[in-house]
Amino acid sequence: MNVIRGFATTFKHLLEEPVTYQYPEQIRPFAERYKGRHELKRYDNGLEKCIGCSLCAAACPADAIWVEAAENTDEARYSPGERYAKTYEINMLRCIFCGYCEDACPTEAIVLGHEHRLSFTNRKDAIFTKDMLIDPVPEGGQATPQKVEPGVFTRAIPDMEDPK
Amino acid sequence: MTHILLRGRDIPDIWKYDVYVENGGYEAFKKALSLEPKAVIDEVKASNLRGRGGAGFPTGVKWGFIPQSEPVKYVAVNADESETGTFKDREILETNPHQLIEGALICAWAIQATAVYIYLRGEFWDVAHELDKRIEEARRAGFVGQNIQGTGWSCEVYTHLGAGAYICGEESALLNSLEGKLGQPRVRPPFPAQKGGGLYGEPTVVNNVETLANVPWIITNGAAEYKKIGTEQSAGTKIFCVSGHVAKPGNYELPMGVTLRELLYEHAGGVPGGKAMKAILPSGGSGPIIPATDAVLDTPLTYEDMSKIGSILGSASIIVMDETVDITWVAAKVTKFFKHESCGKCTPCREGTYWLDKVLDRIMAGQAQVSDIELIDNVAKNMQGVTLCALGDFAANPIIYTIKNFRDDFMQHVQKADIKPASKARQAAPAGD
Amino acid sequence: MTNTVRIIINDQTYDVPAGMNLVDAAKWYANDDIPVFCYHPKMEPVGMCRMCLVEMGTIEKDRATGQVVLDENGQSKVRWMPKLQTACTTTVSDGLVIRTQTQQVQDARQNVVEFLLTSHPLDCPICDKGGECPLQNLTMEHGPGVSRMAFSDKMRLDKHVPLGDLIFLDEERCIQCARCVRFQDEVVGDDVLAFHERGRSLQIITNSEPGFDTYFSGNTTDICPVGALTTADFRFGARPWELTEVPSICPHCPVGCNISLSTRLDRDFGGKTLIKRVMPRQNEQVNEIWICDKGRFGHHFSRSEDRLEDPLVRERSGRLFAKSWTDALAAAAEALKAAGSDVAAIAGSGMSNEDLWALRQLLAGLGSRRLGAWPPTHAGAEVVAQVGVGQGTNLGQLGRGDAVLVIASDLEEEAPIWRLRLKQAADRGAFLLVMNARPTRMDDFAAQTIHYETGEAVQALLALKDSDAWKQLAEAHNLVIVAGAEGLSLDGSRALAGAAANILLETEHVGKPNSGLLAVLPGANAMGLHYLGFTPAATLDIMQNPPKVLIVTQADLLLDDPTAAHWLAKVETIISLDLFASGLTQQLAAVALPIQSFAERDGSYVNGERRVQRFYTAQGPMGQALPAWQALSRLGEQLGQGTAKLSAAAVMVEIAQNVPAFAGVSFKELAKVERQYPDVGGKDLYYGGTAYRNRGGLGIQIPTAADQGQTVARFEAAADEPPKTRGKLVIVPSVRLYNRERTFRPSALVHARVPEAYAEINSADAKKLGIQDGDTVEIAIQNAPALRVRAHVNGGAPKGTVIVPRHLSDTAAPLAVTVGEVSKAEG
Repeated sequence: MNVIRGFATTFKHLLEEPVTYQYPEQIRPFAERYKGRHELKRYDNGLEKCIGCSLCAAACPADAIWVEAAENTDEARYSPGERYAKTYEINMLRCIFCGYCEDACPTEAIVLGHEHRLSFTNRKDAIFTKDMLIDPVPEGGQATPQKVEPGVFTRAIPDMEDPK
Repeated sequence: MTHILLRGRDIPDIWKYDVYVENGGYEAFKKALSLEPKAVIDEVKASNLRGRGGAGFPTGVKWGFIPQSEPVKYVAVNADESETGTFKDREILETNPHQLIEGALICAWAIQATAVYIYLRGEFWDVAHELDKRIEEARRAGFVGQNIQGTGWSCEVYTHLGAGAYICGEESALLNSLEGKLGQPRVRPPFPAQKGGGLYGEPTVVNNVETLANVPWIITNGAAEYKKIGTEQSAGTKIFCVSGHVAKPGNYELPMGVTLRELLYEHAGGVPGGKAMKAILPSGGSGPIIPATDAVLDTPLTYEDMSKIGSILGSASIIVMDETVDITWVAAKVTKFFKHESCGKCTPCREGTYWLDKVLDRIMAGQAQVSDIELIDNVAKNMQGVTLCALGDFAANPIIYTIKNFRDDFMQHVQKADIKPASKARQAAPAGD
Repeated sequence: MTNTVRIIINDQTYDVPAGMNLVDAAKWYANDDIPVFCYHPKMEPVGMCRMCLVEMGTIEKDRATGQVVLDENGQSKVRWMPKLQTACTTTVSDGLVIRTQTQQVQDARQNVVEFLLTSHPLDCPICDKGGECPLQNLTMEHGPGVSRMAFSDKMRLDKHVPLGDLIFLDEERCIQCARCVRFQDEVVGDDVLAFHERGRSLQIITNSEPGFDTYFSGNTTDICPVGALTTADFRFGARPWELTEVPSICPHCPVGCNISLSTRLDRDFGGKTLIKRVMPRQNEQVNEIWICDKGRFGHHFSRSEDRLEDPLVRERSGRLFAKSWTDALAAAAEALKAAGSDVAAIAGSGMSNEDLWALRQLLAGLGSRRLGAWPPTHAGAEVVAQVGVGQGTNLGQLGRGDAVLVIASDLEEEAPIWRLRLKQAADRGAFLLVMNARPTRMDDFAAQTIHYETGEAVQALLALKDSDAWKQLAEAHNLVIVAGAEGLSLDGSRALAGAAANILLETEHVGKPNSGLLAVLPGANAMGLHYLGFTPAATLDIMQNPPKVLIVTQADLLLDDPTAAHWLAKVETIISLDLFASGLTQQLAAVALPIQSFAERDGSYVNGERRVQRFYTAQGPMGQALPAWQALSRLGEQLGQGTAKLSAAAVMVEIAQNVPAFAGVSFKELAKVERQYPDVGGKDLYYGGTAYRNRGGLGIQIPTAADQGQTVARFEAAADEPPKTRGKLVIVPSVRLYNRERTFRPSALVHARVPEAYAEINSADAKKLGIQDGDTVEIAIQNAPALRVRAHVNGGAPKGTVIVPRHLSDTAAPLAVTVGEVSKAEG
């Protein structure tokens, strides 16, 4: 009896469509909130959202993030306010993709995206630098550093809504 | 009655030295000089004269605090009349200046001071200019300077102009300002009367103009006579500065104990246009606002009775408001004043006045919610009793008492409100302001 | 010693010294942290922030009998005050009762924090103070959880206001506590900051030109309870929690301030550890919790581009070539072998004790005892060793009844923290007598000032006898004499120190704490040079009788002494151990060995108060540089002097065994710490600021001969012959704190504050020479190239004297007092 039931199952599956995806030709759809490789975001005008506050590094349980900050000037402006990230590196071998960095970010600059194809042949390649992480300049925006009018971008954290 | 302080109304040109002397001027000072300093203090103590600047502290007691062992002592005359609706000192200074000088000199003799500083608010520059001339006249007559009247005691009288700060009417801020420092109140103790607490660290008596102007009369006529005027705890006359919605605003020198009703209706002529009286600010902007009820109007104007109805006599600058006045507007207006005048030293006052002003602006603009009324009430209460000087309390009073007594006025503003949370997309270009 | 009073804090009884501030007493004795913003234990209370409100009362006593009144439960009755009182403005008194944890108090604290936050921008993510911020901490502890202030109602103010070249003000963050204003006013005496406007418009401004013109500005950033004041040096350098603190000793002057080097790995520094900022480390006996701006901003030399990174050997062609350590040491050993005992050494005062010992051992092995100390400007160290300030001296304890004499020194420029502490001693009532040939900043704080003729310091000191000032000094409870060497030859400086010592001996002010001699010696380790046998006299001998081989360690001979090239020409071989590639190494050294600065290795210095203090390895190494002791020890090994030492600690063990002054000193002993009052640097940053608690050691003070009970004989104090001018002018070198020394020049931040090279000329002399203020003049002295400087004719110099500050340009100014000619130069 059991033998028959076992064969029946086998035959049933023989006739079904295969569940295997033909990666990389076929790519599986992602959940909206999938936590993949980090992206550093920009504002519409091209300025970087990251202000180099290092809170992501502080929140990181794997100590994977390294930030060094420097001061903006109106001659060479990377981000609004006084501070920007001069160095921003994530060691993808260390990262556990927990998303704490995203939670800690006061400007929503770091976002875990959908990119998941992270393989390296060299340990050093696992260190993603700012150039690799940052989003391309949006249409109508300018690349950083920008030369801007003095006194316009004085605040690192753009005006927020009233607390509710 | 004849005036004690506003004698300029009885005797024209009493500001002139000759006229003043003809009318018994400087006799009190001469009499005081013939007495022991201690006896002068005792006389003033006995008269029950209380400080007219607002706090009502017994003047003679204050003088008695000065340690006689110290070689250098000062008298500072507070003529920084900056309370809203107060204009009594100005009239004394303009029409009866010699009486002030004489009073200050008697005080100086009583504590054996080496100098008198008359601190006038910055806007009184013309008054100060005239006062300098009056002091010069007194000097020529031998009442100011070296070896006064052959007693071997020397005392100088100086005038000093402030720079227009309300807070410099507070005694320790006044002393700071006199020393050329920022006009901010000092930590007490040490009190001005103590070594280390007064002007340049020396013991100092700080008295209001009106207080000192009473002194010559007391010395001439005796403490017993003085006590006959007014009530038991509030002796003498008081100048009431009446302004606002009355037919005849102005200074009224009346014995203490006169009721508000008598002052406002009999002397000041009542509310013009037959309107009803809505509210009274009995002590300028700083005192608690009170509704003009019958009970209030029948209250005698004394230190003790005014506190019974939850207000203060203060400097007795009575601002009257009729029924057309929006009390919320008053609160906003007075708060603006205190925000402007806060010295910025203590956190609750500096930040509180700014915050209150911002919320009141929104209330006045019809953009506030009911909770905002609770908010300012709470903020004002948090400012009370925690600041270095009384300005923190003063600034809280207009809010707390207007909300307590005239809540409906506030409700009208918020009921009109069209509440829409201001929202800004955070994704928009991150320009600063 | 002091009377105690009994107070009750939260129902517990404590006996505390009378006259103590309540906040301090509660913290120290009751371990009860009353939160504060404006109060600071080093300054007078002002009661501005209202954070320290507590419930306060007194134990009721019967007026007639003086007996404590008891309530129905038999407990003493407390008369509570109707309102909360500020603890910071309260002095403890008998029967004082406070409660600090009640609901009423907690509400009041929450309200004050809420008020402060209404105008605070809350830009903590980009604020340098974020992470070590008193406001942040107190908000977490006492603040409300939610904001009731509408965000749009917040103040919008300037966030980037330079108060000077070094300090930036963020007006939004400022909470108007006035700590910075009061620090400049009360502690420093440079009242260059002030409040402007009033109410919510109250703002900090600087009223000096140039802005924030003081040598102590950096301290205001430490005591600022928010991130309103930040230093240009550290701005955004790192977040505080990312920093590693390394205890160190400031290498710039004889005060020997305890500092903490905040370090972090740095991408631009090759991934090595880098000093991000210099912070004060509490040592109440040395620098309290302050450091000067030179110490704070003068750390860049440790990684300057001029650093010597490889051993160099000069080939026959005259060019220097990089070699391995083995080759370079072999070359040096060869030269030394050839010279036999005709070897001498000149050591700079930036060398650690361990370096000096290794150098001394090397020379001893070669049979030479010619150990010169550099710069040879002050010979007072040997006198200090006999009658220096007693063990346990704390300049912060000097006050009423004490006296201080400062002679022949511009203390503000030479030892700023001594100047700051002596200014405060004068404020506390100590009699401060300042004597110099010219006006100095110290005059501003002095009770009495005496200006003598140039070079006649000793005569002036001898002439003091039986004057009124003498009486003040002689009758003082404690007497400290601070002797410099300005305007004096080396012999003159010894005579002055001797004359000062004689006064101390005569008035019995030796061998006890808070009394004795302080010599304003050049450099961080001049006392160490003395104790390890290096003398300025030997240097003069070396200058006159140059040896075959001269070992120069960390001494800028060419930049310090204009005649150096002249006398060095007679030396056959120079072996240079230096931090820098320029100067002597570049021009004259046959062998140059790279050594490490104070930041890259550990070691110890002896400060002017004879305190042996330890510093630790902080920064990553530069090139192949080694600690000097190691280089010298390995050189000794090459010469067959035994195996090289392996650690600085091991060298110190050997020093302790051989040098009596260092008996009992070891790195372990030097690292010992104890609790210091006030309690600064804990979690309660709001109390004392961000100065660090001392975890690296308080050091050990070497006892003087007088401390050890030895009888000290009177010193020879013959007055120096005034230099024979023969119609020329006396050239007096002086010291400026901000200069172009190689250890300070790389701190580019301060460049704007380094004055252009100048000479102070008396108006009478200037008139005679046809020189006007601002002219370019040429100063010619013997055996040296002419010095071109700007003439200052503004009352800074006595007649017949030209004051020439050293190290203001790349041309050496005279090292010692000399005579020279001044002429107006074209252009």
